[in-house]
Amino acid sequence: MKGIGGLAALSMSGATIAEAEDVLNDSVPSDPHTLDTYRSIVDAIVPRTPQLESELGPEHVPGGLDVELEKFLVWDFNHFQEIRAEMVTEKGLLDGPSDAEMPLEMFESVLDLTNLGGLLGPDSPLDVVLDLADLDLGDLLDLDGDALEEALTFGPVERYDISFADDVTSSSGPAEFELLVETANETTHQVVQNYPYAPAFTLVFDIVAAEFIARGENEDAIKRDRSKFPAGGTFVQLSPEDRLRCLWTIVDGSAIDRLDDLLSPLVPDVGILKYVVMAVNGLHGFGYYTEWSGLGETKTNNPTERSLSTPAGEVQSRQQSGYPGPADGYAANWRHAVDGGFADPDVENLNLPSDLKGDDVIEGIGGGT
Amino acid sequence: MNDPDVVIVGAGADGPATAWKLAHDHGVDVLLLEGGPWHGNEQWPEPHADSGGTISTDPEDLDGKLLDEQFTHREADANDPTYGYLRVGPADHSRAPWFRNLHQNAFIWQVGAVGGTSLHYFSNHPRGYPTAFNDQPHWPFDYEELVPYYQLNEELTSTQQAPMTAKEEVFIEGADALYPLIESKNVTETGWRPQANAVEVPGRETATGEPLDADYEGSFSYDDGFRGDTLVGDHFQGSSTPVDAPVRDKARKSSNVGYVPRALDTNKNDSQGNVALRPNAYVTDIETNEGAGTLEATGVTFRDSWSGQSQTVSADTVVLAGGCIETPRLWLNAGLPDDGWVGKGLTTHWFDWVVGVYDDETVADINPEVEHMDPYVGQNSAVRFDKPGVGGMEDIGMSPGLVSYADYLFSQAGYSFDTEVDPSEPWDTRGYVVGEELKRRMSNYKQTKALLILTDDLPRQSNGVSLDNTFSDEHGPVPKVKWEPHPDDDAKRDELSRIAANIHKEAGADHVHRCDWPPLLLHMQSSMRMGEVLDENAEAKNVNRLFVADHSAMANGVGGPNPTNSGQALALRTADKIAELYF
Repeated sequence: MKGIGGLAALSMSGATIAEAEDVLNDSVPSDPHTLDTYRSIVDAIVPRTPQLESELGPEHVPGGLDVELEKFLVWDFNHFQEIRAEMVTEKGLLDGPSDAEMPLEMFESVLDLTNLGGLLGPDSPLDVVLDLADLDLGDLLDLDGDALEEALTFGPVERYDISFADDVTSSSGPAEFELLVETANETTHQVVQNYPYAPAFTLVFDIVAAEFIARGENEDAIKRDRSKFPAGGTFVQLSPEDRLRCLWTIVDGSAIDRLDDLLSPLVPDVGILKYVVMAVNGLHGFGYYTEWSGLGETKTNNPTERSLSTPAGEVQSRQQSGYPGPADGYAANWRHAVDGGFADPDVENLNLPSDLKGDDVIEGIGGGT
Repeated sequence: MNDPDVVIVGAGADGPATAWKLAHDHGVDVLLLEGGPWHGNEQWPEPHADSGGTISTDPEDLDGKLLDEQFTHREADANDPTYGYLRVGPADHSRAPWFRNLHQNAFIWQVGAVGGTSLHYFSNHPRGYPTAFNDQPHWPFDYEELVPYYQLNEELTSTQQAPMTAKEEVFIEGADALYPLIESKNVTETGWRPQANAVEVPGRETATGEPLDADYEGSFSYDDGFRGDTLVGDHFQGSSTPVDAPVRDKARKSSNVGYVPRALDTNKNDSQGNVALRPNAYVTDIETNEGAGTLEATGVTFRDSWSGQSQTVSADTVVLAGGCIETPRLWLNAGLPDDGWVGKGLTTHWFDWVVGVYDDETVADINPEVEHMDPYVGQNSAVRFDKPGVGGMEDIGMSPGLVSYADYLFSQAGYSFDTEVDPSEPWDTRGYVVGEELKRRMSNYKQTKALLILTDDLPRQSNGVSLDNTFSDEHGPVPKVKWEPHPDDDAKRDELSRIAANIHKEAGADHVHRCDWPPLLLHMQSSMRMGEVLDENAEAKNVNRLFVADHSAMANGVGGPNPTNSGQALALRTADKIAELYF
């Protein structure tokens, strides 16, 4: 369901022809801002490492981008939560939503940057975000608004629009969402089942990165030319290590407490972002270091339609770990550590010592507090 | 089965044990409802793509070769929490998993299917520490009362000491130099011991008489005569070995192997009760009658996850066995009384993970015949350390996707490139390992060993499961889960992590890394605990004829040891109590 503005993508700033073709031929329907943002995380966690070739061998050179790990992240986040149409209700019903019903507006969001800098339009991406959140700069008590404004960019994104694809309040079953991402040169239009978290999170990461920069927490200089990830925003301007430090401010730096009001219109529940940072790190283990990359063209199909094209023990990461892949069994020498098995008397002969605690119990917590 | 005596909600680790005991020993008819799919059953040849049958009562429906096809042994296929065949979600894999709202850097790791979370467990079956039963106020009965049930469960699940391979010898090298060997299942002293695992050990020779050692070159197929464990460390992928074996003869006795076939066998015996199992049936409500001033359970309503149709089934007694998250969620969504402890008091062992990387010479000195520890050979965890009153630890070997996640990509300490290490601590690095360093460490996968710390965790009311006020799914408000460690538990975990690092160093590790895990909600217990929500029979204090027979009924974290043996033993006891009271 994706439409791309033809070869116009080639005009993306700094993109190589190969990179632009990757975007055009992408089997995971996703907009370039989303893909490039995840690409920048993949590159920080599992980079190409030519420096390891002489020490460990040529198989240790390629990294996560060589096997398109960003598609794994995008697929997983976009299949993270089903929204049931029968549980969604219009805002403004007489008594408001019941305990079980979710307001429609929670899942719909439009970030419109098309008039940026125009006569009647806002001045900056931050203005657009503030507008969306119905906030003024003065409301951002803990934030340096000017510095935030200076730092925040969503790259080439001009419009981001998530809405229900159908009249969700009169239907039932898994709801479909319509996602539209426009840049100056192309439009990505998708209809997806499940809430499209993957693109939403990348906008969040840009805002968190802008705050990270505004607070001067980046340790390396920012790189505004974005040549490696041309469709990214503020987040990809950070050095690889700073990208991870920035993500960590979500978990351990109170970033989402400070940014809660700004982020609220972009994700249905800002609180899950700490879990998301766990996942964004951990998915490299579930993706890169498993056999996932061996699924070839089927790697982002419906799970029941995936099949290996490279044997599980021969994919790139398995060559790097030396794991031969799953087997029916291993011939190994083995022994029992306790000859004859454990002693286990009948219960009537159990003779437990009076002190059952071991030798150094920390006293004081009896539970129930 | 239209008129069951007992309906059990959930066919995970504990529900099938309860069902078997009720039908086998007490002649009670049981309907088991499971929200997730059923693997290895001919009624559901494509459980993730097609709705298949409705109900199974015939042990002949079980098909081990079908299970082999469905459990591919591949890591991403199995364990990915979003698309893996071992996830919590509807059987239909074109749909997303069931959402739980978790506002933490934390991970909930469960499986929704027949067999439940025991489908991906390491099958470690230690007993809880006696101290956890006898010295704390939450437990309504003595340790000794559970011992016969432990013994029965151990017999039914082939629980015995795990076989040692090269990786365990390295652990023993370190542990044995510092601590004594424990030779009892009832652990009251500090020391190391083999794991008690619910896996049939390999023989000294195959059924066809071939010697079974490193020189064995034959097949590992059941059809070719192989019996018992094949020493593949793929238990987290479902472990359907030996391949070709009937479901009941798979070596590792997850509950779909250890209990479900036995439960269905009762249908072949006129003197026993009947057991019917219906997967894809998610229970959404508990039906009750207002008796003489007392609420009484009369049945449940469930929703077929393929058709969306709901149905109500009546029973004399209702048993909740949906696990520590779904059981309280169902209770709360059903509007049953909550006096403050429903869903609360959730314990999960306050895990940590301490990694040793070894050089070839060290391993060769310990294992002259083997060059590598090869973490994928042998049972996932075959040896352990115990310190009653504090917790324990386990020696772990797994395939590399799981290793990369657990060893280097799951932390609460931040990134190791920024995380300082106190020079007085016995580890060299701490936190996430990424970039070149991650690839360097993973290049040493075959010489890497992790020790899992299992810290005791006492129940507190501030931890647990409530109904989320943001999201709902087709079953009502989703569960909101919160768990944070008590500072005293942090101290215990630090102590155990130091012991682990010292064992690594004693064995000769080159580099020791402490992950400093955030909460991993895997060994969950006690969110509906006896002594608060439940009485000493595991019957709800506020609702008659409503029992809980899953790990949520346990009154605490059993001191740190893996909870499956304790949960199943308690479920067997609860089945006897149900029969005693109502049948």
